[in-house]
Amino acid sequence: MEKVAILTRGLTKYYGRNRGVEDLDLRVERGEVFGFLGPNGAGKTTTIRLLLDLIRPTRGKAEVLGMDARVRGVEIRKRLGYLPGDLALYDNLTGEELLRYLAGLRGGADWGYVRYLAERLQCDLTLRIKSLSRGNKQKIGIVQAFMHRPELLIMDEPTNGLDPLMQHEFHRLVRETSEAGATFFISSHNLPEVERMCDRVGIIREGRLVAVDEVEALKRKALRRLEIHFASPVPPGDFAAIPGVKDLRVEDRTLTCSLTGSVDALIKAAARFEVLNVVSPEVGLEEIFMHYYREGSGGEGGGADA
Amino acid sequence: MSFAWWAVGIAALCLFLVAYYPTVSKTPALTQFMEEAPEWVKAFVGESAEDYTSPAGFLNGELFFMMAPMLFIIFTVSRGSAAVAGEEGKGTLDLLLANPIPRWRVVLEKAAAMAVSSICLGAVLWSALAAGAAAFGMDIGLGNLAAACLSCLLLGLFFGALALALGSLTGRRGQAVGIAAAFAVATFFLYSLSEVVRGLKPWSRLSPFYYYLAAEPLKRGLNGIHTLVLLASALALTALSAYLFERRDILV
Ligand SMILES: Nc1ncnc2c1ncn2[C@@H]1O[C@H](COP(=O)(O)OP(=O)(O)OP(=O)(O)O)[C@@H](O)[C@H]1O
Ligand SMILES: [Mg+2]
Repeated sequence: MEKVAILTRGLTKYYGRNRGVEDLDLRVERGEVFGFLGPNGAGKTTTIRLLLDLIRPTRGKAEVLGMDARVRGVEIRKRLGYLPGDLALYDNLTGEELLRYLAGLRGGADWGYVRYLAERLQCDLTLRIKSLSRGNKQKIGIVQAFMHRPELLIMDEPTNGLDPLMQHEFHRLVRETSEAGATFFISSHNLPEVERMCDRVGIIREGRLVAVDEVEALKRKALRRLEIHFASPVPPGDFAAIPGVKDLRVEDRTLTCSLTGSVDALIKAAARFEVLNVVSPEVGLEEIFMHYYREGSGGEGGGADA
Repeated sequence: MSFAWWAVGIAALCLFLVAYYPTVSKTPALTQFMEEAPEWVKAFVGESAEDYTSPAGFLNGELFFMMAPMLFIIFTVSRGSAAVAGEEGKGTLDLLLANPIPRWRVVLEKAAAMAVSSICLGAVLWSALAAGAAAFGMDIGLGNLAAACLSCLLLGLFFGALALALGSLTGRRGQAVGIAAAFAVATFFLYSLSEVVRGLKPWSRLSPFYYYLAAEPLKRGLNGIHTLVLLASALALTALSAYLFERRDILV
Protein backbone atom coordinates (compact mmCIF):
# COMPACT_ATOMS: atom_id res chain seq x y z
CA MET A 1 0.00 0.00 0.00
CA GLU A 2 1.30 3.44 -0.96
CA LYS A 3 2.66 5.54 1.87
CA VAL A 4 1.66 8.90 0.50
CA ALA A 5 -2.00 9.88 0.43
CA ILE A 6 -1.67 13.13 -1.48
CA LEU A 7 1.26 14.38 -3.49
CA THR A 8 1.29 17.44 -5.69
CA ARG A 9 4.15 18.78 -7.76
CA GLY A 10 4.10 22.32 -9.06
CA LEU A 11 0.32 22.19 -9.07
CA THR A 12 -0.93 25.40 -10.64
CA LYS A 13 -4.36 26.58 -11.61
CA TYR A 14 -5.33 29.82 -13.29
CA TYR A 15 -8.92 30.77 -13.96
CA GLY A 16 -8.31 32.71 -17.11
CA ARG A 17 -6.01 35.38 -15.75
CA ASN A 18 -7.18 34.91 -12.16
CA ARG A 19 -4.81 33.13 -9.87
CA GLY A 20 -6.21 29.98 -8.27
CA VAL A 21 -3.11 28.28 -6.84
CA GLU A 22 0.52 28.45 -7.88
CA ASP A 23 3.30 25.89 -7.74
CA LEU A 24 1.81 23.90 -4.94
CA ASP A 25 4.07 21.14 -3.60
CA LEU A 26 2.12 19.25 -1.04
CA ARG A 27 2.68 15.92 0.61
CA VAL A 28 0.22 14.26 2.94
CA GLU A 29 1.21 10.95 4.51
CA ARG A 30 -1.26 8.15 5.00
CA GLY A 31 -2.90 8.09 8.40
CA GLU A 32 -2.37 11.71 9.26
CA VAL A 33 -4.91 14.46 9.74
CA PHE A 34 -3.70 17.30 7.59
CA GLY A 35 -5.14 20.77 8.08
CA PHE A 36 -5.15 23.13 5.14
CA LEU A 37 -5.36 26.59 6.56
CA GLY A 38 -5.85 29.81 4.64
CA PRO A 39 -7.91 32.99 4.49
CA ASN A 40 -10.74 33.61 2.00
CA GLY A 41 -9.62 33.31 -1.58
CA ALA A 42 -6.32 31.67 -0.69
CA GLY A 43 -6.92 28.67 -2.96
CA LYS A 44 -8.13 25.93 -0.61
CA THR A 45 -11.21 25.03 -2.62
CA THR A 46 -9.22 25.25 -5.83
CA THR A 47 -6.65 22.77 -4.51
CA ILE A 48 -9.31 20.37 -3.31
CA ARG A 49 -11.26 20.46 -6.56
CA LEU A 50 -8.02 19.80 -8.43
CA LEU A 51 -7.46 16.70 -6.28
CA LEU A 52 -10.99 15.53 -7.12
CA ASP A 53 -10.38 16.11 -10.85
CA LEU A 54 -13.38 18.45 -10.91
CA ILE A 55 -11.13 21.11 -12.39
CA ARG A 56 -7.95 20.60 -14.40
CA PRO A 57 -4.55 22.07 -13.57
CA THR A 58 -2.95 24.71 -15.76
CA ARG A 59 0.29 22.86 -15.06
CA GLY A 60 1.72 20.51 -12.52
CA LYS A 61 0.53 17.16 -11.29
CA ALA A 62 -1.51 15.73 -8.46
CA GLU A 63 -1.36 12.19 -7.17
CA VAL A 64 -3.95 10.81 -4.81
CA LEU A 65 -3.37 7.44 -3.15
CA GLY A 66 -0.48 6.93 -5.53
CA MET A 67 -2.55 7.47 -8.66
CA ASP A 68 -2.58 10.34 -11.11
CA ALA A 69 -5.68 12.39 -10.38
CA ARG A 70 -6.23 13.15 -14.07
CA VAL A 71 -5.93 9.57 -15.26
CA ARG A 72 -7.30 7.25 -12.60
CA GLY A 73 -10.03 9.39 -11.10
CA VAL A 74 -12.58 6.60 -10.90
CA GLU A 75 -10.28 4.31 -8.91
CA ILE A 76 -9.29 7.18 -6.65
CA ARG A 77 -12.86 8.20 -5.96
CA LYS A 78 -13.76 4.64 -5.04
CA ARG A 79 -11.53 5.02 -1.99
CA LEU A 80 -12.30 8.63 -1.26
CA GLY A 81 -14.87 10.58 0.73
CA TYR A 82 -15.48 14.17 -0.28
CA LEU A 83 -17.33 17.05 1.31
CA PRO A 84 -17.66 20.00 -1.08
CA GLY A 85 -17.12 23.50 0.24
CA ASP A 86 -20.23 24.92 -1.38
CA LEU A 87 -22.36 21.98 -0.42
CA ALA A 88 -25.52 21.61 -2.51
CA LEU A 89 -27.77 18.60 -2.03
CA TYR A 90 -30.81 17.37 -3.93
CA ASP A 91 -33.38 19.46 -2.13
CA ASN A 92 -36.41 17.37 -2.98
CA LEU A 93 -35.10 14.23 -1.32
CA THR A 94 -35.06 13.37 2.35
CA GLY A 95 -31.70 12.82 4.01
CA GLU A 96 -32.18 9.08 3.89
CA GLU A 97 -33.20 9.06 0.23
CA LEU A 98 -30.16 11.12 -0.69
CA LEU A 99 -27.78 8.90 1.25
CA ARG A 100 -29.30 5.76 -0.25
CA TYR A 101 -28.96 7.24 -3.72
CA LEU A 102 -25.31 8.14 -3.17
CA ALA A 103 -24.57 4.81 -1.51
CA GLY A 104 -26.15 3.10 -4.51
CA LEU A 105 -23.72 4.87 -6.82
CA ARG A 106 -20.90 3.31 -4.80
CA GLY A 107 -22.38 -0.14 -4.69
CA GLY A 108 -23.86 0.21 -1.21
CA ALA A 109 -22.87 1.32 2.27
CA ASP A 110 -23.13 -0.16 5.74
CA TRP A 111 -26.49 1.24 6.82
CA GLY A 112 -25.87 0.58 10.48
CA TYR A 113 -22.84 2.86 10.26
CA VAL A 114 -24.88 5.53 8.48
CA ARG A 115 -27.42 5.49 11.30
CA TYR A 116 -24.61 5.64 13.84
CA LEU A 117 -23.09 8.69 12.14
CA ALA A 118 -26.46 10.41 11.83
CA GLU A 119 -27.15 9.78 15.48
CA ARG A 120 -23.80 11.13 16.58
CA LEU A 121 -24.29 14.31 14.65
CA GLN A 122 -27.94 14.48 15.72
CA CYS A 123 -29.12 14.63 12.18
CA ASP A 124 -32.69 13.72 11.27
CA LEU A 125 -32.67 11.77 8.01
CA THR A 126 -36.44 11.63 7.61
CA LEU A 127 -36.85 15.33 6.76
CA ARG A 128 -36.83 16.83 3.28
CA ILE A 129 -33.48 18.47 2.70
CA LYS A 130 -35.02 21.74 1.58
CA SER A 131 -36.65 22.08 5.00
CA LEU A 132 -33.33 21.71 6.84
CA SER A 133 -31.25 24.50 8.32
CA ARG A 134 -27.79 25.16 6.94
CA GLY A 135 -26.04 23.31 9.75
CA ASN A 136 -28.30 20.31 9.41
CA LYS A 137 -27.64 20.13 5.68
CA GLN A 138 -23.93 20.23 6.46
CA LYS A 139 -24.36 17.23 8.75
CA ILE A 140 -25.83 15.22 5.90
CA GLY A 141 -22.86 16.24 3.80
CA ILE A 142 -20.55 14.97 6.52
CA VAL A 143 -22.38 11.65 6.87
CA GLN A 144 -22.20 11.28 3.11
CA ALA A 145 -18.42 11.68 3.15
CA PHE A 146 -17.90 9.16 5.95
CA MET A 147 -20.52 6.55 5.18
CA HIS A 148 -18.57 4.19 2.94
CA ARG A 149 -15.58 4.19 5.29
CA PRO A 150 -13.17 5.70 2.77
CA GLU A 151 -9.40 5.51 3.25
CA LEU A 152 -9.03 9.20 2.52
CA LEU A 153 -11.42 11.99 3.38
CA ILE A 154 -11.07 15.34 1.66
CA MET A 155 -13.25 17.91 3.35
CA ASP A 156 -13.63 21.56 2.44
CA GLU A 157 -14.47 23.61 5.52
CA PRO A 158 -16.45 20.80 7.11
CA THR A 159 -17.50 22.66 10.25
CA ASN A 160 -19.07 25.43 8.22
CA GLY A 161 -22.48 26.12 9.75
CA LEU A 162 -22.12 23.71 12.67
CA ASP A 163 -22.72 25.01 16.17
CA PRO A 164 -19.78 24.79 18.62
CA LEU A 165 -21.10 21.60 20.22
CA MET A 166 -21.37 19.89 16.86
CA GLN A 167 -17.98 21.20 15.81
CA HIS A 168 -16.48 19.42 18.80
CA GLU A 169 -18.40 16.26 18.02
CA PHE A 170 -17.04 16.47 14.51
CA HIS A 171 -13.46 16.91 15.78
CA ARG A 172 -13.89 13.79 17.90
CA LEU A 173 -15.28 11.88 14.95
CA VAL A 174 -12.26 12.88 12.88
CA ARG A 175 -9.81 11.83 15.61
CA GLU A 176 -11.52 8.47 16.08
CA THR A 177 -11.73 7.75 12.38
CA SER A 178 -8.12 8.71 12.00
CA GLU A 179 -7.12 6.34 14.79
CA ALA A 180 -8.92 3.62 12.85
CA GLY A 181 -6.53 4.31 9.98
CA ALA A 182 -8.15 6.92 7.74
CA THR A 183 -6.31 9.91 6.30
CA PHE A 184 -7.84 13.39 6.38
CA PHE A 185 -7.26 16.48 4.32
CA ILE A 186 -9.32 19.24 5.86
CA SER A 187 -9.45 22.87 4.85
CA SER A 188 -10.32 25.54 7.34
CA HIS A 189 -9.79 29.16 8.21
CA ASN A 190 -10.02 28.54 11.88
CA LEU A 191 -6.70 28.04 13.65
CA PRO A 192 -8.03 26.75 16.99
CA GLU A 193 -10.06 24.13 15.16
CA VAL A 194 -7.06 22.98 13.18
CA GLU A 195 -4.98 22.87 16.35
CA ARG A 196 -7.57 20.66 17.99
CA MET A 197 -8.04 18.26 15.14
CA CYS A 198 -4.92 18.02 13.04
CA ASP A 199 -1.44 16.50 13.20
CA ARG A 200 0.08 18.75 10.59
CA VAL A 201 -0.91 22.02 8.99
CA GLY A 202 -0.24 23.53 5.61
CA ILE A 203 -0.72 27.26 5.40
CA ILE A 204 -1.79 28.68 2.07
CA ARG A 205 -1.87 32.33 1.26
CA GLU A 206 -2.60 34.04 -2.05
CA GLY A 207 -2.35 30.76 -3.88
CA ARG A 208 0.99 29.71 -2.45
CA LEU A 209 1.90 27.30 0.26
CA VAL A 210 3.79 29.42 2.77
CA ALA A 211 4.44 26.86 5.48
CA VAL A 212 3.93 23.26 6.46
CA ASP A 213 4.40 22.39 10.07
CA GLU A 214 3.48 20.07 12.90
CA VAL A 215 0.56 21.38 14.89
CA GLU A 216 2.69 21.22 18.04
CA ALA A 217 5.30 23.46 16.46
CA LEU A 218 2.63 25.79 15.19
CA LYS A 219 1.22 26.14 18.67
CA ARG A 220 4.62 27.11 19.92
CA LYS A 221 5.10 29.71 17.25
CA ALA A 222 1.57 30.89 16.74
CA LEU A 223 0.50 34.35 17.61
CA ARG A 224 -2.01 34.70 20.42
CA ARG A 225 -3.73 37.76 21.68
CA LEU A 226 -4.35 38.16 25.38
CA GLU A 227 -6.42 40.59 27.36
CA ILE A 228 -6.17 40.66 31.15
CA HIS A 229 -8.54 42.65 33.29
CA PHE A 230 -7.30 43.62 36.75
CA ALA A 231 -9.11 44.84 39.82
CA SER A 232 -6.83 47.87 40.11
CA PRO A 233 -4.32 49.67 37.79
CA VAL A 234 -1.05 47.81 37.18
CA PRO A 235 2.42 49.15 36.31
CA PRO A 236 3.28 48.39 32.63
CA GLY A 237 6.95 47.95 33.44
CA ASP A 238 6.34 44.60 35.10
CA PHE A 239 5.18 43.06 31.81
CA ALA A 240 7.32 44.70 29.14
CA ALA A 241 10.32 42.44 29.70
CA ILE A 242 8.50 39.10 29.45
CA PRO A 243 9.83 37.05 26.50
CA GLY A 244 7.39 36.63 23.60
CA VAL A 245 5.25 39.58 24.57
CA LYS A 246 4.67 42.22 21.89
CA ASP A 247 2.40 45.18 21.25
CA LEU A 248 1.97 45.59 24.96
CA ARG A 249 -0.56 48.17 26.08
CA VAL A 250 -1.63 48.82 29.62
CA GLU A 251 -4.52 51.19 29.95
CA ASP A 252 -5.78 51.74 33.39
CA ARG A 253 -6.84 48.30 34.57
CA THR A 254 -6.65 46.44 31.27
CA LEU A 255 -3.60 44.86 29.70
CA THR A 256 -3.57 43.82 26.06
CA CYS A 257 -0.72 42.20 24.20
CA SER A 258 0.27 39.76 21.49
CA LEU A 259 2.16 36.72 22.46
CA THR A 260 4.09 33.87 20.94
CA GLY A 261 5.10 30.74 22.72
CA SER A 262 4.27 29.96 26.31
CA VAL A 263 1.86 32.12 28.28
CA ASP A 264 3.38 30.87 31.53
CA ALA A 265 5.61 33.87 32.37
CA LEU A 266 2.89 36.34 31.57
CA ILE A 267 0.29 34.57 33.69
CA LYS A 268 2.70 34.32 36.59
CA ALA A 269 3.48 38.02 36.35
CA ALA A 270 -0.20 38.84 36.25
CA ALA A 271 -0.97 36.60 39.19
CA ARG A 272 0.78 39.01 41.49
CA PHE A 273 -2.20 41.32 41.06
CA GLU A 274 -5.87 40.63 41.49
CA VAL A 275 -7.08 39.30 38.13
CA LEU A 276 -10.76 39.68 37.23
CA ASN A 277 -10.76 38.08 33.83
CA VAL A 278 -8.52 36.67 31.13
CA VAL A 279 -9.74 36.85 27.54
CA SER A 280 -8.06 35.54 24.43
CA PRO A 281 -9.70 37.25 21.44
CA GLU A 282 -9.35 35.27 18.24
CA VAL A 283 -6.54 36.53 16.06
CA GLY A 284 -7.34 37.16 12.44
CA LEU A 285 -5.85 34.57 10.13
CA GLU A 286 -4.23 37.16 7.96
CA GLU A 287 -2.37 38.43 10.98
CA ILE A 288 -1.21 34.96 11.92
CA PHE A 289 0.10 34.44 8.41
CA MET A 290 1.84 37.78 8.32
CA HIS A 291 3.43 36.86 11.59
CA TYR A 292 4.32 33.40 10.42
CA TYR A 293 5.67 34.80 7.21
CA ARG A 294 7.87 37.38 8.94
CA GLU A 295 9.28 34.83 11.30
CA GLY A 296 10.20 32.70 8.29
CA SER A 297 9.39 29.72 10.37
CA GLY A 298 7.86 27.51 7.66
CA GLY A 299 9.70 25.27 5.28
CA GLU A 300 10.70 22.15 7.17
CA GLY A 301 8.28 19.40 8.01
CA GLY A 302 7.83 17.81 4.59
CA GLY A 303 6.23 20.72 2.78
CA ALA A 304 8.66 21.61 0.04
CA ASP A 305 10.06 18.27 -0.91
CA ALA A 306 9.36 18.17 -4.62
CA MET B 1 -43.39 13.92 -10.91
CA SER B 2 -43.54 16.64 -13.51
CA PHE B 3 -43.64 13.90 -16.13
CA ALA B 4 -47.13 12.99 -14.92
CA TRP B 5 -48.31 16.54 -15.60
CA TRP B 6 -46.81 16.46 -19.06
CA ALA B 7 -48.56 13.17 -19.77
CA VAL B 8 -51.90 14.44 -18.52
CA GLY B 9 -51.54 17.66 -20.51
CA ILE B 10 -50.65 15.95 -23.76
CA ALA B 11 -53.38 13.32 -23.39
CA ALA B 12 -55.96 16.01 -22.66
CA LEU B 13 -54.85 18.08 -25.65
CA CYS B 14 -55.11 15.05 -27.96
CA LEU B 15 -58.54 14.04 -26.73
CA PHE B 16 -59.81 17.59 -27.01
CA LEU B 17 -58.55 17.91 -30.58
CA VAL B 18 -59.97 14.58 -31.70
CA ALA B 19 -63.31 15.30 -30.06
CA TYR B 20 -63.42 18.52 -32.03
CA TYR B 21 -62.75 16.71 -35.32
CA PRO B 22 -66.35 15.57 -36.15
CA THR B 23 -67.43 19.22 -36.22
CA VAL B 24 -64.59 20.12 -38.59
CA SER B 25 -65.16 17.22 -40.96
CA LYS B 26 -68.78 18.28 -41.44
CA THR B 27 -67.71 21.75 -42.52
CA PRO B 28 -66.37 21.38 -46.07
CA ALA B 29 -66.36 25.15 -46.39
CA LEU B 30 -63.21 25.06 -44.30
CA THR B 31 -61.39 23.08 -46.94
CA GLN B 32 -62.48 25.54 -49.54
CA PHE B 33 -61.37 28.41 -47.35
CA MET B 34 -57.98 26.85 -46.91
CA GLU B 35 -57.64 26.21 -50.63
CA GLU B 36 -58.22 29.85 -51.33
CA ALA B 37 -55.93 31.06 -48.62
CA PRO B 38 -52.67 32.73 -49.71
CA GLU B 39 -49.56 30.60 -49.93
CA TRP B 40 -47.92 32.00 -46.82
CA VAL B 41 -50.96 31.12 -44.70
CA LYS B 42 -50.74 27.56 -45.97
CA ALA B 43 -47.09 27.50 -45.12
CA PHE B 44 -47.93 28.08 -41.50
CA VAL B 45 -50.62 25.47 -41.34
CA GLY B 46 -48.40 22.96 -43.02
CA GLU B 47 -48.69 20.51 -45.85
CA SER B 48 -52.21 19.71 -44.92
CA ALA B 49 -53.80 22.94 -46.02
CA GLU B 50 -55.46 21.36 -49.00
CA ASP B 51 -57.26 18.60 -47.18
CA TYR B 52 -57.82 20.14 -43.82
CA THR B 53 -60.94 18.08 -43.21
CA SER B 54 -59.40 14.64 -43.71
CA PRO B 55 -58.25 12.96 -40.46
CA ALA B 56 -54.59 13.10 -41.39
CA GLY B 57 -54.87 16.63 -42.70
CA PHE B 58 -56.65 17.76 -39.58
CA LEU B 59 -54.12 16.19 -37.21
CA ASN B 60 -51.20 17.48 -39.25
CA GLY B 61 -52.50 21.01 -39.24
CA GLU B 62 -53.70 21.16 -35.68
CA LEU B 63 -51.18 18.99 -33.92
CA PHE B 64 -48.19 17.59 -35.75
CA PHE B 65 -47.14 20.64 -37.69
CA MET B 66 -46.46 22.86 -34.75
CA MET B 67 -48.11 22.00 -31.44
CA ALA B 68 -46.73 18.50 -30.87
CA PRO B 69 -43.12 19.27 -31.91
CA MET B 70 -43.17 22.42 -29.87
CA LEU B 71 -44.30 20.55 -26.75
CA PHE B 72 -41.81 17.76 -27.29
CA ILE B 73 -38.98 20.20 -27.86
CA ILE B 74 -39.83 22.13 -24.71
CA PHE B 75 -39.88 18.87 -22.79
CA THR B 76 -36.60 17.49 -24.14
CA VAL B 77 -34.71 20.78 -24.09
CA SER B 78 -35.68 21.33 -20.49
CA ARG B 79 -34.51 17.81 -19.58
CA GLY B 80 -31.42 17.92 -21.74
CA SER B 81 -30.28 21.22 -20.31
CA ALA B 82 -31.08 20.16 -16.74
CA ALA B 83 -29.03 16.97 -17.07
CA VAL B 84 -25.58 18.51 -16.84
CA ALA B 85 -25.84 22.30 -16.83
CA GLY B 86 -28.87 22.34 -14.54
CA GLU B 87 -27.15 20.27 -11.89
CA GLU B 88 -24.00 22.27 -12.34
CA GLY B 89 -25.90 25.49 -11.73
CA LYS B 90 -27.46 24.10 -8.58
CA GLY B 91 -24.04 22.94 -7.45
CA THR B 92 -24.95 19.29 -6.97
CA LEU B 93 -22.54 18.11 -9.65
CA ASP B 94 -19.60 18.24 -7.23
CA LEU B 95 -21.36 15.71 -5.06
CA LEU B 96 -22.36 13.48 -7.95
CA LEU B 97 -18.94 13.46 -9.62
CA ALA B 98 -17.19 12.60 -6.34
CA ASN B 99 -18.55 9.11 -6.86
CA PRO B 100 -16.55 6.49 -8.72
CA ILE B 101 -18.33 7.08 -12.01
CA PRO B 102 -16.62 8.44 -15.10
CA ARG B 103 -18.06 11.68 -16.38
CA TRP B 104 -18.98 10.25 -19.76
CA ARG B 105 -21.15 7.67 -18.06
CA VAL B 106 -22.97 10.35 -16.10
CA VAL B 107 -23.77 12.08 -19.39
CA LEU B 108 -24.86 8.90 -21.16
CA GLU B 109 -27.05 7.75 -18.29
CA LYS B 110 -28.71 11.12 -18.07
CA ALA B 111 -29.23 11.11 -21.84
CA ALA B 112 -30.77 7.65 -21.57
CA ALA B 113 -33.09 8.87 -18.82
CA MET B 114 -34.15 11.76 -21.04
CA ALA B 115 -34.76 9.38 -23.94
CA VAL B 116 -36.82 6.99 -21.85
CA SER B 117 -39.08 9.73 -20.49
CA SER B 118 -39.49 11.15 -24.00
CA ILE B 119 -40.39 7.73 -25.37
CA CYS B 120 -43.00 7.41 -22.65
CA LEU B 121 -44.38 10.80 -23.61
CA GLY B 122 -44.46 9.65 -27.24
CA ALA B 123 -46.39 6.57 -26.15
CA VAL B 124 -48.84 8.80 -24.31
CA LEU B 125 -49.30 10.89 -27.44
CA TRP B 126 -49.96 7.85 -29.57
CA SER B 127 -52.32 6.13 -27.11
CA ALA B 128 -54.35 9.27 -26.49
CA LEU B 129 -54.78 9.84 -30.22
CA ALA B 130 -55.58 6.19 -30.87
CA ALA B 131 -58.10 6.10 -28.03
CA GLY B 132 -59.63 9.38 -29.15
CA ALA B 133 -59.84 8.22 -32.76
CA ALA B 134 -61.68 5.09 -31.67
CA ALA B 135 -64.03 6.99 -29.38
CA PHE B 136 -64.95 9.74 -31.83
CA GLY B 137 -64.88 7.70 -35.00
CA MET B 138 -61.85 9.31 -36.62
CA ASP B 139 -60.56 7.11 -39.41
CA ILE B 140 -56.79 7.06 -39.11
CA GLY B 141 -54.29 4.22 -39.43
CA LEU B 142 -52.65 3.36 -36.13
CA GLY B 143 -49.41 2.50 -37.91
CA ASN B 144 -49.17 5.91 -39.54
CA LEU B 145 -50.11 7.52 -36.28
CA ALA B 146 -47.23 5.69 -34.65
CA ALA B 147 -44.91 6.83 -37.45
CA ALA B 148 -45.87 10.46 -36.84
CA CYS B 149 -45.50 10.15 -33.08
CA LEU B 150 -42.11 8.47 -33.45
CA SER B 151 -40.90 11.15 -35.86
CA CYS B 152 -42.04 13.85 -33.48
CA LEU B 153 -40.31 12.09 -30.61
CA LEU B 154 -37.06 11.84 -32.58
CA LEU B 155 -37.23 15.51 -33.48
CA GLY B 156 -37.61 16.24 -29.77
CA LEU B 157 -34.67 14.00 -28.92
CA PHE B 158 -32.52 15.81 -31.47
CA PHE B 159 -33.12 19.15 -29.78
CA GLY B 160 -32.83 17.59 -26.32
CA ALA B 161 -29.43 16.19 -27.31
CA LEU B 162 -28.47 19.60 -28.67
CA ALA B 163 -29.35 21.21 -25.33
CA LEU B 164 -27.42 18.47 -23.55
CA ALA B 165 -24.36 19.12 -25.72
CA LEU B 166 -24.55 22.88 -25.17
CA GLY B 167 -24.91 22.35 -21.43
CA SER B 168 -22.01 19.92 -21.43
CA LEU B 169 -19.89 22.45 -23.25
CA THR B 170 -20.69 25.57 -21.24
CA GLY B 171 -22.20 24.36 -17.97
CA ARG B 172 -24.77 27.13 -18.21
CA ARG B 173 -28.37 26.05 -18.45
CA GLY B 174 -29.79 29.39 -19.54
CA GLN B 175 -27.41 29.50 -22.48
CA ALA B 176 -28.16 25.91 -23.45
CA VAL B 177 -31.93 26.49 -23.43
CA GLY B 178 -31.64 29.82 -25.22
CA ILE B 179 -29.45 28.58 -28.04
CA ALA B 180 -31.35 25.32 -28.52
CA ALA B 181 -34.69 27.15 -28.56
CA ALA B 182 -33.43 29.80 -30.97
CA PHE B 183 -32.10 27.07 -33.23
CA ALA B 184 -35.47 25.28 -33.10
CA VAL B 185 -37.41 28.40 -34.02
CA ALA B 186 -34.99 29.33 -36.80
CA THR B 187 -34.99 25.88 -38.36
CA PHE B 188 -38.77 25.65 -38.06
CA PHE B 189 -39.13 28.84 -40.08
CA LEU B 190 -36.47 27.70 -42.51
CA TYR B 191 -38.47 24.57 -43.22
CA SER B 192 -41.95 26.08 -43.27
CA LEU B 193 -40.94 29.09 -45.35
CA SER B 194 -39.05 26.93 -47.80
CA GLU B 195 -42.46 25.65 -48.88
CA VAL B 196 -43.32 29.07 -50.26
CA VAL B 197 -40.07 30.94 -50.73
CA ARG B 198 -38.38 29.35 -53.75
CA GLY B 199 -34.90 30.49 -52.83
CA LEU B 200 -35.03 28.66 -49.52
CA LYS B 201 -35.95 25.29 -50.98
CA PRO B 202 -32.40 23.95 -51.32
CA TRP B 203 -31.65 24.91 -47.73
CA SER B 204 -34.63 23.17 -46.19
CA ARG B 205 -32.63 19.98 -45.79
CA LEU B 206 -30.52 21.70 -43.19
CA SER B 207 -33.56 21.90 -40.96
CA PRO B 208 -34.33 19.02 -38.57
CA PHE B 209 -38.00 19.78 -39.25
CA TYR B 210 -37.47 18.65 -42.82
CA TYR B 211 -36.59 15.15 -41.63
CA TYR B 212 -39.55 15.21 -39.31
CA LEU B 213 -42.28 16.38 -41.70
CA ALA B 214 -41.18 16.40 -45.33
CA ALA B 215 -41.91 12.69 -45.84
CA GLU B 216 -45.40 13.08 -44.31
CA PRO B 217 -45.23 10.21 -41.84
CA LEU B 218 -48.88 10.60 -40.87
CA LYS B 219 -49.96 9.92 -44.46
CA ARG B 220 -47.21 7.67 -45.77
CA GLY B 221 -45.68 6.02 -42.77
CA LEU B 222 -42.07 6.11 -41.67
CA ASN B 223 -39.37 7.25 -44.07
CA GLY B 224 -36.31 5.17 -43.27
CA ILE B 225 -33.70 7.68 -44.28
CA HIS B 226 -35.29 10.68 -42.62
CA THR B 227 -35.82 8.72 -39.42
CA LEU B 228 -32.24 7.59 -39.49
CA VAL B 229 -30.94 11.13 -40.00
CA LEU B 230 -32.75 12.35 -36.88
CA LEU B 231 -31.75 9.35 -34.82
CA ALA B 232 -28.11 9.42 -35.89
CA SER B 233 -27.71 13.13 -35.28
CA ALA B 234 -29.30 12.84 -31.83
CA LEU B 235 -26.88 10.03 -31.01
CA ALA B 236 -23.94 11.98 -32.40
CA LEU B 237 -24.82 15.00 -30.28
CA THR B 238 -25.07 12.76 -27.22
CA ALA B 239 -21.65 11.29 -27.88
CA LEU B 240 -20.30 14.80 -28.41
CA SER B 241 -21.79 15.81 -25.04
CA ALA B 242 -19.90 13.06 -23.27
CA TYR B 243 -16.69 14.08 -25.03
CA LEU B 244 -17.09 17.77 -24.23
CA PHE B 245 -18.01 17.15 -20.61
CA GLU B 246 -14.93 15.00 -20.03
CA ARG B 247 -12.64 17.81 -21.02
CA ARG B 248 -13.60 20.81 -18.98
CA ASP B 249 -13.70 22.32 -15.50
CA ILE B 250 -16.84 21.94 -13.44
CA LEU B 251 -18.11 25.37 -12.50
CA VAL B 252 -18.78 26.16 -8.87
N1 LIG C 1 -14.42 29.84 -11.14
C1 LIG C 1 -13.55 30.81 -10.85
N2 LIG C 1 -13.30 31.78 -11.75
C2 LIG C 1 -12.41 32.75 -11.50
N3 LIG C 1 -11.70 32.84 -10.38
C3 LIG C 1 -11.89 31.90 -9.44
C4 LIG C 1 -12.82 30.85 -9.62
N4 LIG C 1 -12.80 30.07 -8.53
C5 LIG C 1 -11.90 30.62 -7.70
N5 LIG C 1 -11.36 31.71 -8.24
C6 LIG C 1 -10.30 32.56 -7.64
O1 LIG C 1 -9.27 31.72 -7.17
C7 LIG C 1 -8.80 32.13 -5.92
C8 LIG C 1 -8.86 30.98 -4.93
O2 LIG C 1 -10.20 30.67 -4.67
P1 LIG C 1 -10.64 29.47 -3.73
O3 LIG C 1 -12.10 29.32 -3.86
O4 LIG C 1 -9.80 28.30 -4.01
O5 LIG C 1 -10.29 30.07 -2.29
P2 LIG C 1 -10.59 29.43 -0.86
O6 LIG C 1 -9.27 29.32 -0.19
O7 LIG C 1 -11.38 28.20 -0.99
O8 LIG C 1 -11.43 30.58 -0.18
P3 LIG C 1 -12.64 30.48 0.89
O9 LIG C 1 -12.03 30.39 2.23
O10 LIG C 1 -13.34 31.80 0.70
O11 LIG C 1 -13.49 29.32 0.53
C9 LIG C 1 -9.66 33.31 -5.52
O12 LIG C 1 -8.91 34.49 -5.73
C10 LIG C 1 -10.83 33.28 -6.44
O13 LIG C 1 -11.25 34.58 -6.76
MG1 LIG D 1 -13.31 27.62 -0.30
